[in-house]
Amino acid sequence: MSATVMDNPLRAGVRLERTADPCTVIIFGATGDLTKRKLVPALYRLVQERLVPGEFAVVGAARSEMGHDDFRAKMKDAVAQFSEAKRVDEEVWDSFAQGLYYLPVNIDSPDDYKKLSDLLDQIDRERGTQGNRVFYLSTAPALYAEAVKQLGQSGLVNQEKGWRRVIIEKPFGTDLATAKQLNRDIHEHLEESQIYRIDHYLGKETVQNLMIFRFANGIYEPLWNRQYIDHVQITNAETVGVEGRGGYYDKAGVVRDMIQNHVFQVLSHVVMEPPASLGAEAVRDEKIKAMMSARPFTAERVRNECVRGQYGAGSINGKPVPGYREEEGVPKDSTTETFAMVTMRFDNWRWSGVPFYIRSGKRLAKRVTEVAIQFKDAPHQLFGREMMEQVAPNQLVIRIQPDEGITLRFGAKVPGQVTRIRDVNMDFRYGASFGVQLAEAYERLLLDCILGDPTLYARTDMTERGWEIVMPILEEWAATKAEAPFPNYEAGSWGPQATHDLLASQGRRWRRP
Amino acid sequence: METQTHNSSAAVSVSGIDVSKLEKELAAMWQPAKNEDGTVAEAGTTRVCVLNLIVYAAQQEDRAEIDQLLDEVTEQTPGRSIILVADRDSADAKLEAYVSTRCQTSSRGAKQVCGEQITIEASGPVIETVSTAIEPLLMPDMPVFLWWKDIPHYEDKLFNRLVGLADRVVIDSLAFDHPHEDLLRLAEIIRTNPQFMLVSDLNWGRMTAWRSLVASFWDVDDYRPLLDQIDTVIVEYDPPDVAHSAIAPQALLIIGWLASRLGWQFLGQAPHSDGQTTHFTLQALGGREVKIELRALPDREGRDGWLASLTLRATQAGAEFRVAMNEAGTKLETEARIGDAHHVERVVAYEQKTEGQRLSRELGLLLRDRIYEAAVTAAAQLLAALSQS
Repeated sequence: MSATVMDNPLRAGVRLERTADPCTVIIFGATGDLTKRKLVPALYRLVQERLVPGEFAVVGAARSEMGHDDFRAKMKDAVAQFSEAKRVDEEVWDSFAQGLYYLPVNIDSPDDYKKLSDLLDQIDRERGTQGNRVFYLSTAPALYAEAVKQLGQSGLVNQEKGWRRVIIEKPFGTDLATAKQLNRDIHEHLEESQIYRIDHYLGKETVQNLMIFRFANGIYEPLWNRQYIDHVQITNAETVGVEGRGGYYDKAGVVRDMIQNHVFQVLSHVVMEPPASLGAEAVRDEKIKAMMSARPFTAERVRNECVRGQYGAGSINGKPVPGYREEEGVPKDSTTETFAMVTMRFDNWRWSGVPFYIRSGKRLAKRVTEVAIQFKDAPHQLFGREMMEQVAPNQLVIRIQPDEGITLRFGAKVPGQVTRIRDVNMDFRYGASFGVQLAEAYERLLLDCILGDPTLYARTDMTERGWEIVMPILEEWAATKAEAPFPNYEAGSWGPQATHDLLASQGRRWRRP
Repeated sequence: METQTHNSSAAVSVSGIDVSKLEKELAAMWQPAKNEDGTVAEAGTTRVCVLNLIVYAAQQEDRAEIDQLLDEVTEQTPGRSIILVADRDSADAKLEAYVSTRCQTSSRGAKQVCGEQITIEASGPVIETVSTAIEPLLMPDMPVFLWWKDIPHYEDKLFNRLVGLADRVVIDSLAFDHPHEDLLRLAEIIRTNPQFMLVSDLNWGRMTAWRSLVASFWDVDDYRPLLDQIDTVIVEYDPPDVAHSAIAPQALLIIGWLASRLGWQFLGQAPHSDGQTTHFTLQALGGREVKIELRALPDREGRDGWLASLTLRATQAGAEFRVAMNEAGTKLETEARIGDAHHVERVVAYEQKTEGQRLSRELGLLLRDRIYEAAVTAAAQLLAALSQS
């Protein structure tokens, strides 16, 4: 919450939501998909929910020539098509659209930044936005450094009059060297406190609930360690293929696209120690501390504890789908992995000896992201080996998407004269218990940036640590051929057989999400 | 999603209230139905309980309204509802209870999430003691809410006993039969025994958007100094349906809120009325006078007791801040004007919530609302002055 809001005596009270300072949001890449599908619908919703003040404006910037009214019309269509309500409230839209502008900008043209600066000054005067600005870089990733350089050289991120923040979309680099270079480039013009590296997974309610679940409840944290936990499974499965992004995806692969950012963010919430406070730095310090204790991957560990895969033709939900190499933009001999399983180990007191099995892939059997904590067996088999073999170990499953919720599996006596045990699930589902629509991740993250709260954004050290961890895997896989020739799993399955064999060799098995 | 209500096979009556029998009947309702061959005929239900809700109904005729309300409440906050239908006009002693479940169903028809309901019908002398039958029926250690629209403006033993069971009492000052008396009684309870009951007021919930928009003016650095220069407040409202000469509780509460938050004191200057407008004078810190005008508007269909507009002026600075509801009651329009040079307007949607959705929102609040209590206390001071003038 900003200082001005805290000073406002009318803000006090449990019912009044946090609201933001007056400001202008400038979107670079405003003609792109993300702007129409996510960003403008999220900003419209923030206006509708009264979470931003009347002194608020949005400027779209992109190469195309277009007037303000054309941009407004396109964005209105986008809100109608992509917002949760699938409709536009005319009066609210008209009010929102008065503060919606467009400016053609070539990302490397200093003259265009001068025009942008003039427009923003004009908006400050007309709409009372007070010089506060959020620059959202939704351009091609190769342009991030140039955009920040131009913002710096034009004085637009100078904070003498109002605060200035820059949101940078993923991917943040394509490997450790490029991520470090990008960090160096943007730090030439921005303080770390001005940089908001977005990872939309962190905006999901259920990822945030991991913190609440662990640290607002007294009963789980004593069990959250090597004494009671046998292993952890994180599944991040998509049913979709590359969806027309074959050219991009073939250069990236699943480790770059999903694991080093989204999955590691979820993982860090599971592994971290309790922070000293909920302040952004306290939380992010604990997350990076946890990830720093991740055991480095050696070539031997990559061979023995990781599995890569690429999907072949198969079917999803009963519908035939092509193999990866048949997708548009993908070379016929591509060796890019569309599936990866990695075994993470953390060398610290809490997690020593507890493997974290992570799998992520495209064209898997079901769309699901979940964290499953598998507890150790009871230390003494009081009810006999045969009976105990009928029950699975206790498991706590945190479902991140879809059907967000938490399930605890435990054994219970089957009613009758004979002692028999069966597994039962105790379910908590967000939809059932709260009956409310969960907020879109982008809404939450945009609002947090406007409020100046970077807790749910990735810090420099976290982005670089993510790359440090996965680089040995990427290098080993680039240097060697997969054990089984690609494609090695059928679309609609749960990935290569080797992932199941690997867990079986350790006396464990993947749960079926 | 749609909601279905399923009563027990025969709405069972018991002599007195047999708690264990009711619990058994409820447990049986959670069993999935079976085919003749013993296989499960329909998908199982998910039993969810996040609270206990005691609903007081003064007459059977209120049941339809309550049923509709509970459909919506169950969808958002499933739990155990205990409906008490108290027929105070009958001298015959009667105490009956029956159980039912209330389920949301998916489009495929499979049962999904259910809350459970116990209906108690009481009349005659047992009304005063029926609270002792309700207590053992509460789900253990879950929050208890009492939904009793009106604050009785007289001593009511049943009300007091049910309040004793509840963690929070939900009222609706829009529905007060005696707006001034009930608000004064509420303020008296808050003043003399604040621990007696924590209050949620649906009417206060209806005003959240108003308060949020008024507060948002002063989130802006440039406007912030003007808050200490406000010298005129004009509130327009539609009079309550039940008492046309009364000032609507929403109007009193919004002034009570501003006064309590900004330290405006009532210093005894007698209020006066001219036609439909009531004038008060308050004093801000430093001795500045703040003129308050409460203007009753001509009757408008469906808007009884609602705020129509709120204007705050800092005359010397030439500043005016205004929030107004549109004619349809669907939008709130705001306007900030400082002299001729600065003028910002916007329109936001006014939340179109049903009563059930509003009640559900209140059921999510457990903390004591001191801001509301202070607003009620300040509003009651105005009413007390008005009654003496």
